Amino acid sequence: MTEIYPIGGGKGGVGKSFVVAGLGALIAKWGHNVVVIDLDLGASNLHTLLGMKRPKRGLNRYIDKTVRRLESVAVPTMIPNLFFISSMHCSMEIANLLHAHKLKIISAIQKLPFDYILLDLGTGTNFNTLDFFLTSKEGILIGTPEPTSIENFFRFISAVYFRILKQTLKRSEFHSAVKDAVTEMSSAPAGTHDILKIVSKYHPDKVTDLKNKLSEFKFKLILNQFRKNMDSTLGNKIETVCNRHFHSNFQFLGNIRYDGQIHDAVFSRTLYVHKYPHTQSSSDLKKIAEKITRNRRPTSLPKEIS
Amino acid sequence: MKYFDGLNYYEILKIPENSSFLEIKQAYRDAVSIYGEDSLVTYSLFSTDEREKILKIIETAFLTLIDGNQRAAYDRMLMDSGQSDTKFISGQSQKQSQPVFDPGKAANDDPLAADATKQIQADEEKQLSDEILSKSSVSGNDLKKLREALGVEIHEIHSLTRISVSVLNAIEENRLESLPPDTYLRNFLKLYAEVLQIDPLKIVDGYFKHISMVQNTD
Repeated sequence: MTEIYPIGGGKGGVGKSFVVAGLGALIAKWGHNVVVIDLDLGASNLHTLLGMKRPKRGLNRYIDKTVRRLESVAVPTMIPNLFFISSMHCSMEIANLLHAHKLKIISAIQKLPFDYILLDLGTGTNFNTLDFFLTSKEGILIGTPEPTSIENFFRFISAVYFRILKQTLKRSEFHSAVKDAVTEMSSAPAGTHDILKIVSKYHPDKVTDLKNKLSEFKFKLILNQFRKNMDSTLGNKIETVCNRHFHSNFQFLGNIRYDGQIHDAVFSRTLYVHKYPHTQSSSDLKKIAEKITRNRRPTSLPKEIS
Repeated sequence: MKYFDGLNYYEILKIPENSSFLEIKQAYRDAVSIYGEDSLVTYSLFSTDEREKILKIIETAFLTLIDGNQRAAYDRMLMDSGQSDTKFISGQSQKQSQPVFDPGKAANDDPLAADATKQIQADEEKQLSDEILSKSSVSGNDLKKLREALGVEIHEIHSLTRISVSVLNAIEENRLESLPPDTYLRNFLKLYAEVLQIDPLKIVDGYFKHISMVQNTD
């Protein structure tokens, strides 16, 4: 069974790529076949955090149809079983991916022959990021224990909900008043609560279905750059609040301690968990990786991918 | 966004229906730390109106459950409307002398998510209670220290146990001349210990030992 984890979180600079590289390496070291994909289109630098030079091939070759299968552009890393798909070579306009290309990439990701697929998403809540986030039924949000970052958590969750609702509600069978509520043309931005209210007015029978759709998605939360003396219960509190006030299931995976050496590792372009396996931050990452794999043993023997 | 629709007061405070006085108090503090105005967790999630509404509900839940009579009436209402498990009848099966300082309970099974601040606080409380319980004699001052460490007010003990405040003060201040006869005192100390969820036997014995020590030195 393949597990896909899109990793987003709204705010920039919170360490998404760092966490993706670290989790990917740890899970691969336990014998699982892992691929990490840089989907921060137009601002990709996951390769640096993996301790790699610019990879020779990437997503571009799949988009321009040089290769037929997405796995053909996965390159090996310094960690056995850990592969990497870069978006480094994509065109300078790749950030504005064509809708058809996006759908093609999403469906190819869902078919990749790996045990774990980690998607490193870009900052913000643009359509590409949200759609890549919805590649799976569960995703990981990364933030820091700061007001701005937590604010972006909620913003991101609301944007994901809005995207899910919009995709359903724009279909023809819905009343135009409902459609208006989810189109950009509407004057005031509507929240999930408001949209569901409008739906219950015109299509009372559809409300439960919509709520179920929202509750199908599972969110996992990580707080990075955690410093001593901060409230270590913050993540649990966010989990509690989200479980109560949003429709989905939320699980707090843990805090990752801030470490100055992370900065050094980035500068020397090395994979942090590989170079500093015994630091507090690495051990925090390990505990999180254990929660993600639920201590599952590798099901398949590592495959050779050329 | 969902609010507290359909949740009863216990669910709102996230506590079981047989929660003790101390657990209710702690749950209320936790809820305020999440939904309070300065809370880092929710300040960007709710508007002022929403927050006020939520805090009002939490306060009502707390004030109802912390008052013995109101809680009993509320429990009856829950039971009559079929929302409650009939096993729990407030006052009868309410947890009383379960030690809150159970070391197994303090050790969180998830070290990453462990509540460090709470842990430190719990450790301090445990240390204090261990210290007091390990002494062969327990003075009124010891009881007072422990009560204050747990954040329990004297009038709260009064409203739960119906022991008059003047007697409670006399116990804590070791004013032997103002203490009630031994049979009453024994019972009062037991109730006092139960509210603080510490071993009543040790407290009763320790306190009587303390009294006899003081009398002998006179």
